[in-house]
Amino acid sequence: VKLPEFIRNSIRRKTMLVVLATTFAALVANAVALLAYDFYSFRTAQLRDQQAQAEILGRAAGPAIVFNDRKDAQADLAALRARTEILAAALYAPNGDRFATFERAAGGPLLPAAAPRAGQHYSGDYLLTAYEIAEAGQPVGSLYLVAHAGIYARIFAYVGILLLVMPVALGVSFLLSAWLQRTLTGPILAIDSAARSVVERRDFTVRARKTTDDEIGVLAEAFNRMLAEVEKRQEELAAADRRKDEFLATLAHELRNPLAPMRNALHLMKMAPGDAQLTGAARDMMDRQLAQMVRLMDDLIDVSRITTGKLGLRREMVELGAVLRGALEAAEPLANARGHRVDVRVPEGEVRINADGTRLGQVFLNLLNNAIKFTDPGGRVSLEAGVRDGWLEANVSDSGIGIAPGMLESIFEMFAQADRSLERASGGLGVGLALARRIVELHGGTIEARSRGLGQGSEFLVRMPVAGAGASGEPAGGEAPGRVRGTGSRVLLVDDNRDFAESLAIVLRALGHQVRVAHDGASGLDTARGFRPEVAFLDIGMPGMSGYDLARELRAAPGTAATVLVAITGFSQPADRELAKEAGFDDYYVKPVEIGRLKRILDGHAAAS
Amino acid sequence: VRRVCCAALAVFLAAAGSSAAQDGAPQSAQEHEVKAAFLFKFLPFIEWPADTFAGAEAPIAVGVLGSTEVADDFEALAEGRAVGGRAVEVRRLKPGAAPADLQVLFVGRSQEGRLADLSRAVQGRPVLLVSESAGALDAGSMVNFIVAGGRVRFEVSLEAAERAGLRISSRMLSVATNVRPARP
Repeated sequence: VKLPEFIRNSIRRKTMLVVLATTFAALVANAVALLAYDFYSFRTAQLRDQQAQAEILGRAAGPAIVFNDRKDAQADLAALRARTEILAAALYAPNGDRFATFERAAGGPLLPAAAPRAGQHYSGDYLLTAYEIAEAGQPVGSLYLVAHAGIYARIFAYVGILLLVMPVALGVSFLLSAWLQRTLTGPILAIDSAARSVVERRDFTVRARKTTDDEIGVLAEAFNRMLAEVEKRQEELAAADRRKDEFLATLAHELRNPLAPMRNALHLMKMAPGDAQLTGAARDMMDRQLAQMVRLMDDLIDVSRITTGKLGLRREMVELGAVLRGALEAAEPLANARGHRVDVRVPEGEVRINADGTRLGQVFLNLLNNAIKFTDPGGRVSLEAGVRDGWLEANVSDSGIGIAPGMLESIFEMFAQADRSLERASGGLGVGLALARRIVELHGGTIEARSRGLGQGSEFLVRMPVAGAGASGEPAGGEAPGRVRGTGSRVLLVDDNRDFAESLAIVLRALGHQVRVAHDGASGLDTARGFRPEVAFLDIGMPGMSGYDLARELRAAPGTAATVLVAITGFSQPADRELAKEAGFDDYYVKPVEIGRLKRILDGHAAAS
Repeated sequence: VRRVCCAALAVFLAAAGSSAAQDGAPQSAQEHEVKAAFLFKFLPFIEWPADTFAGAEAPIAVGVLGSTEVADDFEALAEGRAVGGRAVEVRRLKPGAAPADLQVLFVGRSQEGRLADLSRAVQGRPVLLVSESAGALDAGSMVNFIVAGGRVRFEVSLEAAERAGLRISSRMLSVATNVRPARP
């Protein structure tokens, strides 16, 4: 059944319709049932009444028929005048002839001329009763009564009553339901109006009023909770949006910052190409600024990895001391520049842990850099670390500006900066702590900040499981790196980027190594055959033979099976690292590569020999 | 107004006509036939004392004196019929005979002079004395036929019936033209 629109649109009208329809159905059912019962009982009573009337009258009139007394019979019938429902009556002699008659009005129902058979039946609105009169067991005649049944009148009366009662009952139930349904529809309408204002005004601070404890109350509560959730999310979204805007502003600023000094340095070099001191200072300046930019870019790449969930770990057995030393070395220039005292307390001897060494180093570098940046010049920064029961516990503390209690958690959020002006002055994108926390969490550990308040210094605690850790252990990996003989090593460089290859070759030669350069895989393989390099730096993405294929060939060839193979590539997906490892690479670096790192590899091999 | 008068006249005429037609049927019957029939029809309305009959199926004995026609008619009427489970026996009485072992005694007009004697003769016995003479109730008759307006009617003396120990149904009394009440 399709309801008209004005009812379909309103729960109040629907409820009303339900109530009225129910009332109507109940009334009609009631009336029909009553009518049927009344009809039946009325009929039964009427039949019995007429039969009794006929018996009484028949018995009284019996002698009159027996003794042929018409006057008396007539008088007997005349007594029926008081019974208004009887319209006509007749007495019949035993031979069937009409003996006496009674008619209330002329033109009434016809009385049969001959005696009808005994019995009762309805004909139209008449009840006809024929009764056989007996005296001492002998039939002496019969009586015939014609009564007005009044059944139609009764039905009409019933219908009339129903028609009178129906509007009254419907009206009463309308008023009652209008009054009662407020308890039902009121709370729903409250939710409805809240929902409307949310939709129309996008105002998520609106709440539906909860007035009942029934299902609708539960609904209102759920609705309110949903609104609260939406409101919270909206606020969070707005905050994240704001942070991103701020980050972009910071990023632009940070990227632009190093450019001015670099341009200045370039000018200096152009203006006075002969002045060795001036050009040296200019080169140093450019080097520092470039390093800063590379760091910013690395941070940016990490940010995108974190936000896309692609930050992965490459766990292996690494030496904790080496990781910490790397971080300390990287932080040293800034610490020195700000005149801090750096206390380091790390375990004696070799402690090997199962972790991503590079990433872990990043964590400590970030913590150290933060400590250095947020401590006024001449302050104290300390690093403590140790391994206990398979857990690495480290602690970076400072005597710096401290952290307000309310900020202890939020500083770990992406792009969060406790003090923008200070951060700006110190340089950075505000992703260091977020990155650190993510890396530690990937290791299954925790990182937390503590501070006794602003100006009271701060402390960062790192705790993470480093399964397989021990005081000392086997060297990681089964491959023994090739020995480097003499002062310099034989180094093969294969890269299709000629500028990169040639510039790197110049630097390495300057460091005292024998360097051969090739620009594709095939010629690289050729060169390697005669040259037998101890270390080979290979690009991955090359035309023809890829770096992976080249590495496999080199590993397969007897002269280069033990060569230290290092990938230097623009690819930076974890999967690429895996492919590199499978192809036989010992190490993997993403461009741009710090010369210092390459130098350490070469130095490491030289020292090992 | 004229129409109403015509209607009233028509009703009156119709009523008169029907009355004449109704009266016509019994009038055609002989008076003695009607009396014999009435005599027979009285029986169900009469209640005799319990010890009147020898047994449950003992017949009701009806004596007829002084009217052969009534006796003939009655005999024809009662032949093979029973009243309250009892057969009805007719005894034709000769003038002067003793009315012994009777429940009903009809005394015809020819014997009306003997009515008082007969009444005395059945004194104290439950015998319904029926007569057809004017003033018979004074002579001790209990039910007396009269002819009024050409129709046979009857009158009843409850006083006499009560003396004989008989009970006459009030329903029979309802059609009697005259009822002499019982002594208080």
